[in-house]
Amino acid sequence: MNVIEGAIVYSNLLVLLSIGLTITYITTGVPNFAQGSFAVLGSYVALTLLRFWAIHPYYSIPVAFVFGGFFGVLVYLLMLRPLIERGASVVILMISTLALDLILLGGFGAYSGFLAESTHKLATKFIFTQYDFDIWQFSGILFVSLAVIFVVFSGLFLLLYKTKFGVALRASMENPSLAEVMGVNVEYTRIFSWFLSGSLASVAGTLLPFRQEIVPLTGALIIVSIFASSIVGGLSSIIGAVIGGYIIGFSESYLTYQLSLVLGAYVLVYSKVISLIVLVIMLLAAPRGITGLKWGRAIWKKSSLQ
Amino acid sequence: MEEIILTIALWFGLYTIVTLSLNLEYGFAGIPNFGRALAVLMGAVAVGGVVNRLLILLFGIEGDLITASAQVRSIMNEMISSNPAYGIGMLLLYLLVAACLGGITGALFILPSAKLSEDYLAITLLAISEVMFMVCNYDTGIIGGYYGVSTPDVLSFIPGERRMLAFTLITLFVAIAVYILMERITNSPFGRLLRAMRENESVVKATGKNIMILRIKATSIGSAIAALAGALYSLYSVNVIATSFSRVEWTFYPFLMVLLGGAGNNKGVVIGTFTFVLVKVLLTIYKHEIRVLMNLPFEAVWLEYILFGLLMYFVLLYRPEGLIKERPIFSKVILEKVKKRA
Repeated sequence: MNVIEGAIVYSNLLVLLSIGLTITYITTGVPNFAQGSFAVLGSYVALTLLRFWAIHPYYSIPVAFVFGGFFGVLVYLLMLRPLIERGASVVILMISTLALDLILLGGFGAYSGFLAESTHKLATKFIFTQYDFDIWQFSGILFVSLAVIFVVFSGLFLLLYKTKFGVALRASMENPSLAEVMGVNVEYTRIFSWFLSGSLASVAGTLLPFRQEIVPLTGALIIVSIFASSIVGGLSSIIGAVIGGYIIGFSESYLTYQLSLVLGAYVLVYSKVISLIVLVIMLLAAPRGITGLKWGRAIWKKSSLQ
Repeated sequence: MEEIILTIALWFGLYTIVTLSLNLEYGFAGIPNFGRALAVLMGAVAVGGVVNRLLILLFGIEGDLITASAQVRSIMNEMISSNPAYGIGMLLLYLLVAACLGGITGALFILPSAKLSEDYLAITLLAISEVMFMVCNYDTGIIGGYYGVSTPDVLSFIPGERRMLAFTLITLFVAIAVYILMERITNSPFGRLLRAMRENESVVKATGKNIMILRIKATSIGSAIAALAGALYSLYSVNVIATSFSRVEWTFYPFLMVLLGGAGNNKGVVIGTFTFVLVKVLLTIYKHEIRVLMNLPFEAVWLEYILFGLLMYFVLLYRPEGLIKERPIFSKVILEKVKKRA
């Protein structure tokens, strides 16, 4: 897999994850530190289907989608909603997602123990690259991840702009109290956003092992990149999450690679530092993110000066 | 049995230092410091990265950090075992450097808070801490990364079987000193100002106080203290390995102890720390028995994660104020006024 290919695949997956993070933050106000582990959940779903029934990981995408979605809904209903109802502050909600992350980490470790015992194959560390195929000189994961992104984008577009539920969803994201007055059940949109968050993360998780090795701790390692993508996008719009995902994905893989050609291979260790720098610069320069910038006003000012 | 008690006492001392520092920042000042592990890591960097390099320069040893540190250890151990004063001096030097480095790190890494709201700040601090952890772990040039660097044994004048006892006593002594310091700070006008800032920043601003300076003071004191724990732990294990300063061990668990005991209450936090350490050490010691008894096909550490994650959640849900609630402020002036009214 060459560098640009890898960067595109990685960015596609980051986009899926940061869309989920952003949408649950908009609707329920929970910055979810367990988003990375939601992805690892998808990886384990794919691994289970592969080891027990020899189902190719690409075919397990729909299963992971549904499974991850229901898991997201369960997390919201059983864990976060009781806290929100008790008026927990955003810091308490964050700590609870950190707790969830730890529970999931323990769960993955324990589950891989079961899996290893019943299949006699190592499950605390796995990779799917050997199951991938080549189309021309490109790896299959490039096309599959692009196809997933295409399906997700068009599905989201149709849902948000062509259906009544989508209108209600957008209304309750813009202004929940006004939407409630107009007869929208905001609770449904919250549950739906957690379904979407869990399912997209899970799909990203089934594809991630085609690019890198998965360990139970993978979720904790990629969470910084996911948050960086969402914050660069402004944490308040889905389009922002998409743009942020590509910016962070490319700066972490492609930019780091280019820097390593100039400065030497040791730079590769610092790939996460680059996304941290992008994140901090973005926070200091434009705390509302890319979509929060008033491009229209800037253009208007420029044209009025002339 | 003696060893179990010593292990519990040692970890209780180490974790008390960290949780009290976190209590100052989160419990009193209301700063959601999700990057506590960074300050602890800085303590280890002070031992393995800063003082070790100085010693290497001093003795004029050549070679890379990892092999040179091993030579430094053998030279220093001989010096210390011949004259205990060197050992005590070195221990104090290590703690001083760790506190300075921790304080500077704390003051610098809170700077983004000037422009950020609570949740963004927490995310940023977690990200900074996590990335620094990864860098220290993968880049073997800083503190030896996952290979680790060896450090001199500051207690090499004490025979091997007594070493653990001596080290535990030193750690407990530092923990008690930190507790007294924290009680003093939090009951001073500065401590009350921190609580006021937690409740309402605008009011504090309106009285002419600079919020940013207050935050920098709180985090630099807190981080300097937390770095002591990192330095003590590295000196105890005579080895600095970046891998042992993970987010779970030094950010999540301290938060669990603070919330379990009661944020904003030093006594409660100490009790919370003791409860946690007791459970954790017993789980670690009997992990093999637990595994056999419950017929688990996996390591007991995964069970520990699930258990502590659930414990944290139930504390948040059913007892967000902790075992011991934060007490209202009763300074002399306030007490008099209350009495007058009554």
